[in-house]
Amino acid sequence: MLYKILEVYARPDFPEKLRQHVLLSLVALLVAIAIAMPVALMIRNSRLGALIAINIGNIGRAVPSLAILALALPFFGIGFGSALVALTALAIPPILINASTGLREVDKGVIDAARGMGLSGGQILARIQLPIAAPVIFAGIRTSAVQTVASATLATFIGGGGLGDLIVEGYSRRGPEILLAGALAVAILAIITEIGFGVLERAFTPKGLKIAQKRRK
Amino acid sequence: MIEFRQVSKTYPGSDKPVVEDLSFEVLEGEICVLVGPSGCGKTTSMRMVNRLIEITEGEILIDGEPNTAMSGTQLRRKIGYAIQQIGLFPHRTIADNIGTVPNLLGWDRGRIKSRVDELLDTVGLSPDEYRNRYPAELSGGQQQRVGVARALAADPPIMLMDEPFGAVDPITREGLQDEFLRIQQDIKKTIVFVTHDIDEAIKMGDKIAILKQGGVLAQYDTPENILSEPDSEFVSSFVGGDRVLKRLSLTRVGEMDLEPANGGTDGLLRIDEGLTVKDALSELIGSGHSRAVVEKDGENGLLTFEAIEDLMGGASGEPSNGGESSA
Ligand SMILES: Nc1ncnc2c1ncn2[C@@H]1O[C@H](COP(=O)(O)OP(=O)(O)O)[C@@H](O)[C@H]1O
Ligand SMILES: [Mg+2]
Repeated sequence: MLYKILEVYARPDFPEKLRQHVLLSLVALLVAIAIAMPVALMIRNSRLGALIAINIGNIGRAVPSLAILALALPFFGIGFGSALVALTALAIPPILINASTGLREVDKGVIDAARGMGLSGGQILARIQLPIAAPVIFAGIRTSAVQTVASATLATFIGGGGLGDLIVEGYSRRGPEILLAGALAVAILAIITEIGFGVLERAFTPKGLKIAQKRRK
Repeated sequence: MIEFRQVSKTYPGSDKPVVEDLSFEVLEGEICVLVGPSGCGKTTSMRMVNRLIEITEGEILIDGEPNTAMSGTQLRRKIGYAIQQIGLFPHRTIADNIGTVPNLLGWDRGRIKSRVDELLDTVGLSPDEYRNRYPAELSGGQQQRVGVARALAADPPIMLMDEPFGAVDPITREGLQDEFLRIQQDIKKTIVFVTHDIDEAIKMGDKIAILKQGGVLAQYDTPENILSEPDSEFVSSFVGGDRVLKRLSLTRVGEMDLEPANGGTDGLLRIDEGLTVKDALSELIGSGHSRAVVEKDGENGLLTFEAIEDLMGGASGEPSNGGESSA
């Protein structure tokens, strides 16, 4: 069985499917970051804005991935582009929610001290709020990335390609090794994503915050 | 010098002012304490000085210039700011925290570093041990010290302090107060100091502004005068029924004119010259004696109840006045 699975990975069309899958996930994630972060920054000082963003985010999370893909179909047709739009929509909520709460959770006393010493709004954002919120923001991006890699498997249903193609193929042709090969590849990709972003998250957590986290435990 | 001129503040969406027609002056090198019950507008008044809150009516002059003459951020870089929450930046080292304003002002690195070390020394933290630590590695009292050092960093002539020692236990607080008063003797900053604690106000203030609900100035005077001549029911009840004893805490026994103790002082209670008269009186009563010896400049003085009465002088020597009846 293992040998049969490895044979699937040696197929000439496998690298292309893997490439599609990674590209789809990566582009969706980057676009989602490019949309969610400016919104989170814009609403960082507005309680109402944060409330709206978090609620929209939560609703977005509650809608099943497949439903969002199906929704994209009538508007964007079949293909890679359509899958990209749907995956982007899926990737936004965790980033938006974490970035917005992370920025708002920065201690009020810290912000007040910064203002009182004459830091401008931009300086407070760049030097105080963003570094302190960085771990929370990165955790959101990690969640979103792993979820996007997993959901990209569904892109096949609207002709978006990716590793999902293998699963569908294995299912319809009764080739369990093809199906397994596809599922396994997605799982490994997701784990690599999780670990990779975990490393990033730690790298972007300022040392003083790590010490504070340890003390709190 | 800071001058409040008929300053009022009404927050948006409210029709009642929280500070009303406030006028007083804080003289060069003096600590002016704003004190009063919670919600009476102390913090609001203080924050209007560096324009963290904008004034609704009136003006605040700093050295004769309206504080609106420059931008808010520029103004704030020239005024030290220390608050109860301390607000140390958790992701920055102690040195970086203290260097915040010098850094904003564009000082070079060498100058910032030597200033940081100097200030750590001033507030009693060894620079070698603390400069590279992070706030989470410090006790509450140490964090408050760093907060004060950070406010002093660019040597601003004016400081705003909002319950700066409020977040620590009473014993640590007393130590920090004593230390700050000692520092202030050298640096002579013009300070607006906010507290809700009348004892802290009496201890720290050269002047005290007592505010009552609605941000109305009830009395503005030296601690001595406020304790000896509270000019309203509100003030006398706010300073408390023990205001005579509080006055005793304003003086140390070493500062009193004491009769020399002639003859034998053996067996008599000895009292340290650094004690406040209030604490000395407490010891005297507790010991069951009616006299004690205070050694000052190598000479023995005699502390008696009469000497304490003399200290309190005329007005308050009379037994029944407004303060007692309201307590
Ligand atoms: N940003 C604000 N918006 C509206 N009301 C405020 C605001 N800040 C303070 N207040 C109100 O103004 C009054 C005075 O507050 P404050 O100056 O903080 O008092 P204190 O420092 O003496 O406790 C309080 O009634 C408080 O609720
Ligand atoms: Mg207050």
